Amino acid sequence: MSSSSPKGLSRIAANRLHKELKEWQMNPPAGFKHKVSDNLQRWIVEVNGAPNTLYENETYYLQVDFPENYPMEAPQVIFTHNPPLHPHIYSNGHICLDILYDSWSPAMTVSSICISILSMLSSSTEKARPVDNDRYVRNCRNGKSPKETRWWFHDDKV
Amino acid sequence: MESEEDMLDARSATSDDGFYPNNDDECDSDRMSMGYRYEEEDDDDGMDGDEDAYEDDFLQYGSDEDALHSGRPSYTGRQQLPYTVLTEEAITERQDAAIESVASVLSISRAQACLILRKHEWCVSRVNEEWFADESRVRNCVGLIEKSIKPSMTGQRDIREIKCGICLEYHRIETMQACCCDHYFCQSCWRAYAHTAICDGPGCLSLRCPNPDCNAAVGDELILKLVLEEDKRKYRHYITRSYVEENRRAKWCPAPGCEYAIEFTPGGDIQDVTCNCGHNFCWNCSEEAHRPVECVTVERWILKNSAESENMNWILANSKPCPKCKRPIEKNLGCMHITCTPPCKFEFCWLCLGAWSEHGERTGGFYACNRYEAEKKEGKHDETERRREMAKNSLERYTHYYERWASNEQSKAKALSDLKQLQITQLEKLSDKHSLPMSQLKFLVEAWLQIVECRRVLKWTYAYGYYLPENEATKKQFFEYLQGQAETALERLHQCAEKEVKAHLDGDASNVTFTDFRTKLAGLTSVTKNYFQRLVDAFENGLAEVKDSTAVNTTVQASVKGKCSRSKASSSRSNNASRVVDDEGHWYCRHCTFANTGCSTTCSMCHLETMI
Ligand SMILES: [Zn+2]
Ligand SMILES: [Zn+2]
Ligand SMILES: [Zn+2]
Ligand SMILES: [Zn+2]
Ligand SMILES: [Zn+2]
Ligand SMILES: [Zn+2]
Ligand SMILES: [Zn+2]
Ligand SMILES: [Zn+2]
Repeated sequence: MSSSSPKGLSRIAANRLHKELKEWQMNPPAGFKHKVSDNLQRWIVEVNGAPNTLYENETYYLQVDFPENYPMEAPQVIFTHNPPLHPHIYSNGHICLDILYDSWSPAMTVSSICISILSMLSSSTEKARPVDNDRYVRNCRNGKSPKETRWWFHDDKV
Repeated sequence: MESEEDMLDARSATSDDGFYPNNDDECDSDRMSMGYRYEEEDDDDGMDGDEDAYEDDFLQYGSDEDALHSGRPSYTGRQQLPYTVLTEEAITERQDAAIESVASVLSISRAQACLILRKHEWCVSRVNEEWFADESRVRNCVGLIEKSIKPSMTGQRDIREIKCGICLEYHRIETMQACCCDHYFCQSCWRAYAHTAICDGPGCLSLRCPNPDCNAAVGDELILKLVLEEDKRKYRHYITRSYVEENRRAKWCPAPGCEYAIEFTPGGDIQDVTCNCGHNFCWNCSEEAHRPVECVTVERWILKNSAESENMNWILANSKPCPKCKRPIEKNLGCMHITCTPPCKFEFCWLCLGAWSEHGERTGGFYACNRYEAEKKEGKHDETERRREMAKNSLERYTHYYERWASNEQSKAKALSDLKQLQITQLEKLSDKHSLPMSQLKFLVEAWLQIVECRRVLKWTYAYGYYLPENEATKKQFFEYLQGQAETALERLHQCAEKEVKAHLDGDASNVTFTDFRTKLAGLTSVTKNYFQRLVDAFENGLAEVKDSTAVNTTVQASVKGKCSRSKASSSRSNNASRVVDDEGHWYCRHCTFANTGCSTTCSMCHLETMI
């Protein structure tokens, strides 16, 4: 799952990420922890399943990689280690969520992405992999980024 | 009885006249007046009309071009075309006019009008209709929201500064921008946002407010105000293109490098289109014009050609790999003894691919390969050999049609370049040499246009022929008869145009022989045109054999049966009327005007029987 992003952040991207991080530290989204590191370009975010949902008391990790011209371009967001069992989350950690790809807007932030992902988890009614999981994961070998996938999005609700 | 026959005659005679319209005298005067009109129009086109006259000029221009380039000379005469050829400037003008009209009728800004038009195929009447039926639905779908007066002050630090939702920095409100909503972003974020969208392609035309919960459309005024010159150029280009690309009534000319667009006139019946670049194409499938053959046949044929061009079947049928060096070996002699080309030079048997040195007495002599026969008995070669044989038969059939299709395409291309040559230099030369006005040389252009058009039609009839089912014998026979006739006429015309023009250009042929040449070429043009018209008509009737009793069909049917053509009464009657014999005893063919000698009943030029 190498996400090789060889290019560093632009000045604009770095500025914006500093601001985002500062805001996050002052006002972190409920259920998320940013794991402190000195790598501004890759954030590791701890996700805690919301109470009274299928994922209650479970902990997952998101890896967020920022492109050079963030926020004009969306970050790459994947689950690392053991991705939650969810109909829109593949076993390789890729997430089928439109705002991460076609519907990205530069006015979105890591924080707003996290909130969307948590809401996606919370509204799930079954713990299962997407039906096309095996085929998709097979096609993604050699560290293909989910941003290279032409996604057709699963139903919005769950 | 009597009266019935009379009626029949009368009808045949009229149809005859309709079918062979070229009474020489009539034709001459027509040509002269055509020539005159033609020049006059040329002048008109030379002057750039003012705005009001623009539309008319444009249409005239289109028709002129049609006459010059289309290779579809006057089947339908000079009618208003069901389409218009548009340059990029013409598109921009139309867009401006549409924007102006929508903006004033709906009392909205030009940028808003532009947004609405883009979502409605640039059709003013559709916009008006939908707007007045349900304004809020249109606004919603386009993303036009009525602007609230004040920007939202959430996240305010100072009354005059607000936070930009993209860079997360505070900026003075008056330096910030919003589209038609109240989501303000700083200039540099807007610029980057628009730049990213423009780089992504024409999707930038439906750019929305960066706020993820907002549906507001970003109009051109904002984008053009913010972005750099290069992006402006791209963005404007996308707007122009949207007139064609988001509009079912318009298409780009598919000719490589051509930048004209074709717009279809509502209510018109559109089939083939001739672009101002000279390219002739089918509106429906965008392939080169292929009337009278249907789009599906053309599509199949083109697919087939691309598959065949990979040559797999050809190689399968005609070659085998050399057993030693593995290069494909083509067998073109009857002998089974194959010697591979140098440097390999391996000698082997075509049938069993074994070394030739092992052949001889032991294998049954040099002309029969027992090894092969024996192996064949064991079924070893059966399947491959059978497939090879089948491929070969179907390939031979395909090759037959393909060669004819391709060579007509080549001839057409050659004819087009000859026509160009004629128009660039030769017409002038001939006009000087024979002291004739250009208008008198129009017959040459007409001949070449006819040749180009006929090559095109003929070409596609070969694609049709390939798919004509073997079991439709009558249809096939009828088709091949018409095709053969048309082809023969065309070959004569093409040859005459090619060889004899040259003679009149190079040699010092006199004016008298030039007049003869002119008569002959004009005659051949008209004969060829008639044959092709007949072919096209037959196609358009689905090659259904004659049910009605028009003269055309009677002629064809009679000829198919190998009997004397034309009804006796009608030909003798019309002959009497139009047959001209000069002092030297020449008689001029009624169809092609060729001066025949002797008393044969068949014109030696067009082979139509004119005398009984
Ligand atoms: Zn900004
Ligand atoms: Zn907005
Ligand atoms: Zn063109
Ligand atoms: Zn077509
Ligand atoms: Zn060899
Ligand atoms: Zn052999
Ligand atoms: Zn042999
Ligand atoms: Zn004749």
